[in-house]
Amino acid sequence: MKKYWFVFSLYWQEGLQQRASFFIDRFRSCVTLISFYYLWSALLKNRPSFAGYDYSQMITYVLGMDILRSLVFASRTYEIAGDINHGRLSAYLLKPVNFFVYTFFRDLSEKSINLVSAMMEVIGLTFLFHLKVHWPHDPFTWIWFLAAVGGAIWLNFLLNFMVGCWGFWTAESGGPRFLMELFVEFSAGAFFPLDILSKRLQAALQLLPSPYLVFFPLQIFLEKTTRAQLIDGLLIQLFWMAALSGIVYGVWTRGLSMYGAQGS
Amino acid sequence: MRQVLKYARIWARLALMSYGVQAASPLSSFGYLAGKLLRVAFFLVFLVAIFRHTRALAGYSLEEAALFFLTFNLVDILAQLFFRGIYGIRGMVREGDFDYFLIQPVNVLYRVSFNTVDFLDVLTVIPVLGVTAYVIEKIPGGLAGHHLLAYALLTLNGLLIAFAIHIAVAALAVLTQEMENTIWIYRDLMTLGRFPAAIYDAPMRGILTFVIPIAVMISFPAQAYLGKLRPIWMWHACFVSAASVALSLWFWEFATRRYTSSSS
Repeated sequence: MKKYWFVFSLYWQEGLQQRASFFIDRFRSCVTLISFYYLWSALLKNRPSFAGYDYSQMITYVLGMDILRSLVFASRTYEIAGDINHGRLSAYLLKPVNFFVYTFFRDLSEKSINLVSAMMEVIGLTFLFHLKVHWPHDPFTWIWFLAAVGGAIWLNFLLNFMVGCWGFWTAESGGPRFLMELFVEFSAGAFFPLDILSKRLQAALQLLPSPYLVFFPLQIFLEKTTRAQLIDGLLIQLFWMAALSGIVYGVWTRGLSMYGAQGS
Repeated sequence: MRQVLKYARIWARLALMSYGVQAASPLSSFGYLAGKLLRVAFFLVFLVAIFRHTRALAGYSLEEAALFFLTFNLVDILAQLFFRGIYGIRGMVREGDFDYFLIQPVNVLYRVSFNTVDFLDVLTVIPVLGVTAYVIEKIPGGLAGHHLLAYALLTLNGLLIAFAIHIAVAALAVLTQEMENTIWIYRDLMTLGRFPAAIYDAPMRGILTFVIPIAVMISFPAQAYLGKLRPIWMWHACFVSAASVALSLWFWEFATRRYTSSSS
């Protein structure tokens, strides 16, 4: 495991070296945070609640959304398709490392940098606008929340890894990846709570793994789930993790058997 | 007239070359196009979802709020369609291609701006225009001629400001070769215009009107159509666009005069 923590440390240093890209990414995140803060503030200005959320719950959703976006969606798996298409994957295959674990630790370093930054943004905004955050009343909520966030990180990593593997079949995976990322972000509740949508649309989205990336963990944090809903949600998240692990394994082994190392 | 025809022919030739590049990667292009359309569709779904729980957003109805969002899309997509070449200016300068543009018998700024024409934006703007026409028709008062004229003129005015910002970014890139990310700051700030400027508090509205004129570019056209923009603000919009274009052209001249062709 020591070598993977070394990978984590290397990419952490690299991430901090590319300061311009890092600050642009964080700036983008701040703009999204500010625009949604103002939107929900305007909607809750003269009313006690909106779609079942009071002001502090909605603001907490927006702040939590910023942190979870940084933690769950930060990824460097977009490099996988390039590694395959340009033959760089060969170098990883020859090294005594498991490429899957290597990629996961590379992602973890990206996530941890973004998490620290997102926390600072959220704390800064909280003080700047004197925001009242909704903290969980039950200490056990933190445990369930952290479990759901852990599941979300793993689930999104699997999704991204699978999309990266499309590089085995096509050199044009950039466009489909862009489409998938947008779809997943919206359907995850990374812009707004999904329960403001119509019941039919919510039911359709619940069939996908994406609501378990942002919406479900934040529902736990806001203590808006009953015990039955909490257990159901965690079990469904586990089901998706197991199903996607199987699919990713299949895609990776199938792709690897076709890999011709072109470009290396 | 001959000059206009000459420049139209150059644009057509560059557009054809760009189309060739995009047509060579049909899967990727399809992914990007579908992603762009999905983003617009999802935000419209979000707006509709908001109005399931309220009758007004900062005093605007669903159709009126949608008009602000669609105007943001129109200005953003048209700016990308026409000034896409600016996004690659840093590469042109660093790889020495900029020198070739300087010796061509054509305006350098024109050549750089139209170096790339994104046909995906052509395909994206068509449905956006269609939905905008539909929304405008739904707004009480319908297609009022003078309001429509004010809307079209102020949207064009917004495009002029976008053009000025793109020129300034290009000039910065020529001067420093390191300002590639500046254009993304502009793109991110533009997203603050997705919602009516009325959702923001007075200091923020002031910033968006006088410092970073996002409200002038996006909110003003929609407000003019809805008859909620006083004539003095129309003059302000004209002043901002004239001043920003003049300043950015001066800056462009300043930057190109200091260009030393160090990369060629």
